[in-house]
Parts: sequence; C-alpha cells; structure tokens
Amino acid sequence: MSPGIAYAASISAFYTALIFLVAWYAHHRKESGRSIVSNPIIYSLSLAVYCTSWTFYGSVGKASTTGIDFLMIYLGPSLAAFSWLFLLRRIIRISQDNNITSIADFISLRYGKSLWLGALVTIIAILGIMPYIALQIKAVSHSFYLVSGLQIHDITLGGSESGAKLPTGLILALILSVFSIIFGARRLVSSERHEGLIAAVAFESLIKLLSLIGVGLFVTYGLFDGFTDIFSRFKAFDPAAFDRLFTFDASGSSPDSIPTFTMLFLSMGAIMLLPRQFHVMVIENSDERHISTAMWLFPTYLFLINLFVMPIALGGILTTGSTSGADFFVINIPLITGNSAIAQLAFLGGLSAAAGMVMVESVAISTMLLNHIFMPVIVRCTPQAWFPILLINLKRLGILLVIMMGYFYHRIVGDSYMLVNMGLISFSAAAQFLPAMLGGLYWRRGNKAGAIGGILLGSLTWFYTLLLPSFSRSGWLPADLLTEGPFGISLLKPTALFGLSDMDLWSHSLFWSMLFNVSSYIVCSILLKQTEQEREQVHKFIGIFEQQPSSRHPETKRLSKPVTTEQFVTLMAKFIGETEANRAISQYIGNREINAQGTVSEFELPNLKRHTEKTLAGSVGAAAAGAIVDSFLSDMGSRMESVYDIYSTVRTSLDQSRESLFVRLKASEIINRTLDLQIIMDDLLNLLLKEFKLDVAIIQLKKDSDAFLVSSYQGTHRRPISSSHWYTESRPYLDMVYRDGKPHFTNDVRQASEMLPLDMTIAEGIVSFAHIPISREGEPAIGILSVFSKSIAGLFTEEFIGLLSSLSGQLAQAITIVQEMQAKDRERDQKELALLQNARVLRDMEIAKQIQISLLPNSAPEISGIDLAGRCISAAHVGGDYFDFFRRNEHTVDMLIADVSGHSVGAALIMAEVRTLLRAQVNSAHSASAILNILNSQLHDDLTRAELFITMFYAKYSSASGKLSYSNAGHNHPIIHRSSQDSCIELDTEGLIIGVKTSVVFEERSIELISGDVLLFYTDGLTEACDSEGEMFGAARVCSHLGAVSDLPAKEIIDSLYDAVIAFSGTRSLQDDISMVVLKIN
Amino acid sequence: MKRMLIRIMHRLQLRESWIIFFILGIIMMTFPFLHIFNKPITLFGFPLMFLYLMIGWAVSIFVIYLFMRAYSSHNHNPDEKKDV
Repeated sequence: MSPGIAYAASISAFYTALIFLVAWYAHHRKESGRSIVSNPIIYSLSLAVYCTSWTFYGSVGKASTTGIDFLMIYLGPSLAAFSWLFLLRRIIRISQDNNITSIADFISLRYGKSLWLGALVTIIAILGIMPYIALQIKAVSHSFYLVSGLQIHDITLGGSESGAKLPTGLILALILSVFSIIFGARRLVSSERHEGLIAAVAFESLIKLLSLIGVGLFVTYGLFDGFTDIFSRFKAFDPAAFDRLFTFDASGSSPDSIPTFTMLFLSMGAIMLLPRQFHVMVIENSDERHISTAMWLFPTYLFLINLFVMPIALGGILTTGSTSGADFFVINIPLITGNSAIAQLAFLGGLSAAAGMVMVESVAISTMLLNHIFMPVIVRCTPQAWFPILLINLKRLGILLVIMMGYFYHRIVGDSYMLVNMGLISFSAAAQFLPAMLGGLYWRRGNKAGAIGGILLGSLTWFYTLLLPSFSRSGWLPADLLTEGPFGISLLKPTALFGLSDMDLWSHSLFWSMLFNVSSYIVCSILLKQTEQEREQVHKFIGIFEQQPSSRHPETKRLSKPVTTEQFVTLMAKFIGETEANRAISQYIGNREINAQGTVSEFELPNLKRHTEKTLAGSVGAAAAGAIVDSFLSDMGSRMESVYDIYSTVRTSLDQSRESLFVRLKASEIINRTLDLQIIMDDLLNLLLKEFKLDVAIIQLKKDSDAFLVSSYQGTHRRPISSSHWYTESRPYLDMVYRDGKPHFTNDVRQASEMLPLDMTIAEGIVSFAHIPISREGEPAIGILSVFSKSIAGLFTEEFIGLLSSLSGQLAQAITIVQEMQAKDRERDQKELALLQNARVLRDMEIAKQIQISLLPNSAPEISGIDLAGRCISAAHVGGDYFDFFRRNEHTVDMLIADVSGHSVGAALIMAEVRTLLRAQVNSAHSASAILNILNSQLHDDLTRAELFITMFYAKYSSASGKLSYSNAGHNHPIIHRSSQDSCIELDTEGLIIGVKTSVVFEERSIELISGDVLLFYTDGLTEACDSEGEMFGAARVCSHLGAVSDLPAKEIIDSLYDAVIAFSGTRSLQDDISMVVLKIN
Repeated sequence: MKRMLIRIMHRLQLRESWIIFFILGIIMMTFPFLHIFNKPITLFGFPLMFLYLMIGWAVSIFVIYLFMRAYSSHNHNPDEKKDV
C-alpha cells in the first residue's frame, strides 16, 4: 500500500469523523430542544445538496469541452426559485398536513392513495437515480486515485500481483451506506426530520463551496493573474476553442451539445422533483418561512459555486494542454502544479459533494422503497409484534440496495459517459413526475388513470430512449440496437424514434417522453372519472390555501361499527411501536372530549381513523397506511360508509348550508305564522318529514306529572296512540334525554336493541331514530322531539342533529311564548271577573243601604207636646245601628235605639230581623222589659250562630202622664238634659246584652220628664269618635253640647251634635255608625 | 429615491409580477434572445456571453431578494418598509 493511499485514506477518515461529530452535535442539540438546524441558512445550505460531485468535478469538465452552457443546469433552479413562494409553499403545506414521507407518497396521495402509482413512482425513481449514484461513486473513487497517486482502479493489497484486489468503489459504496443508515434510518418515522443528517449535509455544502472557491482562487489568482488574464491567455492559446466555449451551439451540429432549453427545463424540474431535493426541501422543512430566505440564498450559493468554474476549466486546458481528463481538473491542476494541499482540499470538497448527495438520496429512496414496494405486501399479513423491527431493517436494507444499484451501474456503464451526461439521465427521469405533480396541484380534473398512464408511458419512453442507449453504448447491450433499431426496424431506433433523427440524445428523449406523458395524462384525465377517494384528496390539495383552518369540513363518512381508541392504539403499536403509538394518541386526544369509557363520540371516530392513518403514513406512507387501517376495520367487521346525504340536492359545503338555511327559514315561518301551538307543531313535523327522509315524527310535551303527552304525531301508522304503541319502547331514551337535556340518536337500531328491547320498533321497520330535547338555552326541557326513519341507517350526522336541536330550540321558544300568553290571558280574565264581582257587591251593598235606610223611620210620629227626631249615619254602606218609633196612641210613643255589633251585612240583616220581630211584638207586649225579653229569647239562637249580639235601649213615653218608662239591654246610657241643671241625667237600668243568655231579666224603670227636658239616645259611635290625637269625644262633651243647643228643635239638635263630632274628629269619614234619637219636651 | 424604491416594492408584491419575471427569465435564457449575446467577442477582457450570464444571474438573485424584502415587510411588519 503506497503512502499516498494511507494519506488519502486518513484524510478521508478524519473528515468522516468530523461529519459524524457535526451530525451528532446537531442531533444532541435537537434532543435538548435547541435545534441548530431549524433556521433558514441551514435550510438553504441543505438545498445545496443539489450540487453533487457532478457540480464539483463535472461542471469543469463540461465547461472545458462544450463551454459555458453548463451554467444552464444552475440557472434553471435559480429561475425556479421565483415560483417557490406559491408552488413550494403549497407542497410543504400539504405534506405537513398529511405526514408525507416522499415524492412517491405525495403523488400517490394526490391520486387517491393509489398503491400502484406509489410503486410506479418508486421504481422510476430507483431506476432514474441509479446513474446519478453511479456518478458519485465514479467521481469519488477516481478522485481518490488521483490524490493517492494511483492510476489503476483497484488497490492491490500487499503489493504483489496475486494479492487480493480491493475495489475502492465498493468500499466507498459500503461506507456511504453505513453513513446513510446511521443518519437516515435510526428510526422508522420518516416524516420526522433528520436533524443529524441535515446538519451533516449543510456542513458538507459549506465545505464543498469553500473548497471550490479555494481552488478557483488558487487557479485564478495564484496560477494566473485574474479572470481577464486567463481569458486573454486562452484566447491567444486557442482562438477557435475560445469562440466555441463562449458561444452556444445553436445549430446542434455537435452530438454532445445539448440545447439550452433542454438543460434549463430538466434542471428546473430536477430541483423540485429529484427524490433527494423533495426530501430536503419538503420533508425536512421545519418552517414555511424559511422558504423566503432560501429563495435568494440558494441561488446565491449556486452563483458562487459556479463563479470560478470557467476560469478553472480554461486554466486546466492551459495547464495540461488538452481537454482529456477535464472532469478532474479541480484536482489535477493543483497536483500538476505541485500544490498537494489544494488538491487535498479539492478532494474533500468532492467527497463532501458526493457523500451528501448519496446519503440524502438513499434515505429518500429507501423510504419510498419501504412504503411503496415492501409495505403493500406486508399489510396483507396480520400485524405482528416484531413488525417495527422488520420495518426498520427493511429500510436499512433499502439504503444498501439503492447504493449498490448505483455501484453496479457504475461498473457497467463506467467511463463511457462524462459525469454531466450521466446526471442528465437522472434529470430526465425526474422530469416524468412533472405533469402529474403540477397537474395534481392546480388541475382539479387530473386523475389517477391520467397520472399512472402519463408517468408509465413517459418513463417507458425515457427508459427506451435514454437508459437503454447508455447500457448499449458501454457495450453491455449489442450496439446494433442503436444503429439498426430493434429487429432492424429503423423507425424504432432508440436514438431516433419514429425517424426523429439529428437530435441530441437528451432533447430527443425529453421531447418524446414529455409528449407521451403529458398527452396521456390529459387524455385519461378528461376521458375517465375520478373515484370518490380521489375527489376527497383533490379538495385537500387544491383547496389548501382557500380552506379556513377554523371551518370544519362536515363529516361525510361514518364507521358502521364503533371502534374504541384502545383498538386503534393496538393497531398503531404493531407498526410503530408502543411508545410512538401512545404519543400519537395522546396528541390526538389532547384537546378533545372523550367519555369515561375512553371512547370517542361517533362523530369523532372518522377523525380518529384519519389521525391513525396520518400517524401510520408518517412511517409507512399514505397509501399503505390507508390499506392497513381499511383491512383492520374490515377484520373488525366495521367499514367506512357514506353518511346519507340528508339534503336532496348534491351538496358542496356551500349548497349544504344553503339547504340547512332553507329548512330553518321555513321553520321560523311556521312558528311566526300563528300562535296556535297545535298548528305550529303539526306543520313543523310535516316540514321535517318532507325535507328529510323521515317516516315518523312525534312531539311529546311534559305534563305536570311524570308522563309525556303526545302533542303531535305526524307520519305513517297514525293509529290510535295507546300504551301498546311501538313508540312507547323508546320511553327509557325519553327519560334519559329529558334528564340530560342532550339529544340522543341511534343510527342503527339493531345495535341499540342489544341494550334495550326495541322489538316492536324493529318490527315497524324503523332503522334509525333520534330524540331531541325541546328546551331553550340553559333551561330544562319542556318536551321531546322524536324522529324515526325506516330507510336510512346513519341518517343522523352531527350536523343534522345540530339542525334538529336548533329547530327544537325554536319550538321551545314558541311553546314558552304561547304558554306565557295563555297565562297572562287567564290572569286578566280573573281580574276582570273580580272587578265585576266587586262592582256587583258594591251595587248590592248600595241597594242594601237604600233598603236599610228605608227600614228606618223617615220621620218621627207627631205627638202633641213633644218634639221627636232620629237619624242614622252609617260608616260603611250598611250598618248595625237601628232606631225606631212606634206610635201607640195620640199620647204614647215607643222609642228604641239598638246597635248590632259589627258593621257587616250580617249586622244589617240582624237589624232587619230585629225590626221585623219588634213590629210583630210591639202590639202584643206592652212593657219595655217584656219586649226586650221576647226579643232576647227569639234572637238568641240566631245571634249565637252569627256570633253577633245586640245592645238595645227601649223606652215608652206617655205625654199624658209625662212618664218615661224604659229598659236597657246593655246599651250605653241615654242622657237627659234638664234646663235647670248643668249636668245630665243618665238613664241606667240593669240588663244584659241580647244574645248572650237565653233568659235574662231586664229591669224596668221610669222617670218623670218635665218641660224643657231634652232626652238623647245615641250609639257608641258618638262618644267614641276620636280626634287626631286619639282622645274620645266623650259623654261629657255630648252633655255640655246638648245643654248649649237645647233650645233648638230636636232635628237641629241632632244635626248640631253631628257637626260637633265631625269638627272634633277632623274628618268627614266616621269610624263607626252614629245613630241619635232626640226627644224634647215642650 | 427612497420613496421610489418603496413604491417599486409595493408593485412587486403582486403575484402576477412573480410569474412575469419567471417567464421573462426563461425567455432571456432561451434562444432567439440569447442570439444577441451569442457572439465571440470580449468586453473589458470578459467574453460577452460569460458577462451576460453572470451579471444577469446576479441581477435575478437581487430581484428575488427585493421581492422577499417586499413580501416579508408587507406580510409581517408594515413599519419595516420605512427602513428600506
């Protein structure tokens, strides 16, 4: 082993260790939460994985041979950067929303998670990338020989000819594989970003830039004297070559010259579509905002790395004297001029460029290989506990496989192509994804058939016109295939298909493959229909920026048999391991409601299913994840079925809300049209029956007691509602709904009947039903709306229940309003009645008063020698005061005054009774005491019953004798004012109040009245009238006033006394009745 | 001068201008147009085509840079425009 080898190998080993360190550091930083990778500069540098050893060595090679047109490969991406703000942002948004793992995943997801499409894209990517990886291996192993000073392809161990030969290419391939596996396949989750890998790639991008600029500075300013010096010297050295290299060959005469447009187009496609570019740009993107920096920083990187390519190329020709080995001028120039340090730097740059590309590419491709080739097979098997281990090792195997395929292509095709031309084969393959990709992002009608057809035809053409000739040219296939065409058919010559000759290989291939690709994509998309699954994806892809994040897409699918969260976790654990599965599910549940049993609501299930798919997609790709979950569900006996479209029209989200609005509008029309609750309820139910596929609708209102009253029943089977009717089976649901105030629905009645017998309901043909509480917001339910469908299971979507609840709320409002109005009406009626009755009573009382007044004598009898008057002023309408006169003969008169206790009608009635009795008895009994006796015995029972009693003073006066005989039944004592005396005489006798005892002895006395005497009978209202301070009028005042007015006639004495009392009490309304009788002796 | 720059940046925010620049770039990189510079002469000692491509490239990068300044100042902080 020569010292050169050891030296080169140790540099490589040292460098490799450095890269490891960088990657490890980045990984460590990420683990501790302080990512160094997540910033726009690292992102831009990682995009520079575009610059491989093709750029590093090949650009110079191409610049030396065909001239400045190599720049097109970098101008293309630079131009494409203009489109990133909308194109790349859209792709990244979609990918992050769906846990996309690779470009194959992306394309297959867009076209309905097609397994076939994913596999096809993967196969093309693998085939297409083969030359590219081969290119790297070729470049690195070649540069290794140069730096270590060898010119043979194998390193001979032991120096002897028989010693084992060690192929560097193979060793390199193996080292790169190990490297890629360590950074790219540590864990299975491919949608997760690989920070270590990206840090290594970014670091390598930095190294290759510095290295190439270093070499460029060395050549331009070290060996020569700046740009102009190189240009002028070269022009002097070879004017013809100078002209050729700095102009484009527009005629296409040289077979190796490629039209600028072809290169521009291929490179513009490649920057987005090469699997590794897609990986670093989209999958490893941590923040959308990094794009805006990368948009100018990445082109700047390309600009800088190409700045010195032309001087190096010209300097190389000047130094070596020819263009042979131009691909490795970057190393050769320093070596020839004896600057091995610069050569080492260049070698490191080349190694960086190659290693970065191979790592990222192999990781991207192996992910595709696992998800789209291996997975579809694996998902057919029953998930096992060791699946995670199998999967990760399959991925590692994939990396090895990809790199080894590159190695073998390198062995086969070897040196027959220049580096750049090998790379362009890969670019052409990647370009085949362009129509399906762009169409998928912007053309709604692009469909699966079109994508498969386009990619298949395009890549077959590519294979035939580009890959096959590359094998053939290297002598691996018979050469006459190229010159004669297959079976001698010259029209089918791979390099001049259908007679299209005189065109360079790449433009020719690009033209035919794109023609077939685009046309079959468009034709198939127009002629064939999209499946439902595709349409769903179209909405996700094309509407990604139109969708408001807050607006929820209404659910259109339901699971026919509920699956628990636990079952989903178990499923996920089989593919991604227990920890990851638990993390994923807790992330999902985080802000959602789940009930005590750990199950999510029926409406959440499709979301949970999607989340499971998305999580799995992060590891196994969307297509495989879909297949896994579907087969799991079908094992469970469950499947996704379409939710019945409750609206008759085909809906988009816009139409749907319009339909819903229409029903709400109709409902409020019904409710506002009338106040008749029955009509409202009937019409509302009929509206529901008409607009939705319902068969029976019932409104039951809660009565005071425990029972529900069927207030409206619409729909079929309107047989008499009785306790044996089928709907009574739902009673437990009603109670539950009533208690909880939440809607309950059953989308499949047979499942519900396992818990609760619903035999009669099933016999009726009911398949789904819902009960909605009729309640206003925040108030207890006042009834229940029940709807039943015979035709559709799964009718009750979250949205439909929402609509029904909203209608119930409106109905509750209407019912409450109607009930309130009825209550108000009742109250008003009652008031009116009361007023009426009151008026009637008042009128009756008025009548009674009139009658009572008429019962009192309106004038006193005229007896000679006396002046007699009496008056009653009642406080209320009717009263219990009573006075009367009976004229016995022309000299004799009986007088009495009585007071029935209380002022009620009862008192008045008793008074009337007293009067009647008196009138009857006056003629039979003659003495006062006898009359009182009779009255007492006759009234006792009545008074006891009425709880009343009577005081009465009865007197008999004879003008002939001048004698007044009297008897008292507890009445206040009448007074006599005698003109000769100042004081008054009180007439006092023994006697109990009438109505207390059955037999009472009333004492009878008599007194001689003389002329001028004024006798006053009065009731207690007179003496007990109070002034404002509570002082009573009193007998003394009565007496003195009587003295003062004794000269007046009897009638005027009464009036004067009355006025005095009014004046005393200060008010016109009396507290008690006042009755007075005055007898004046003339 | 400053005001003019701000006004230009405002115009650049239009989505159409992105597409126009993109198409313009393609036209300038393809043939009928390239013929103008496709001559074997030198300018200040630099080959014409080399000069055209490198300067054109640098200008296009600068244009994207301006775009992004305009875009981010418009989208994130309207006051930033004053600093430009």
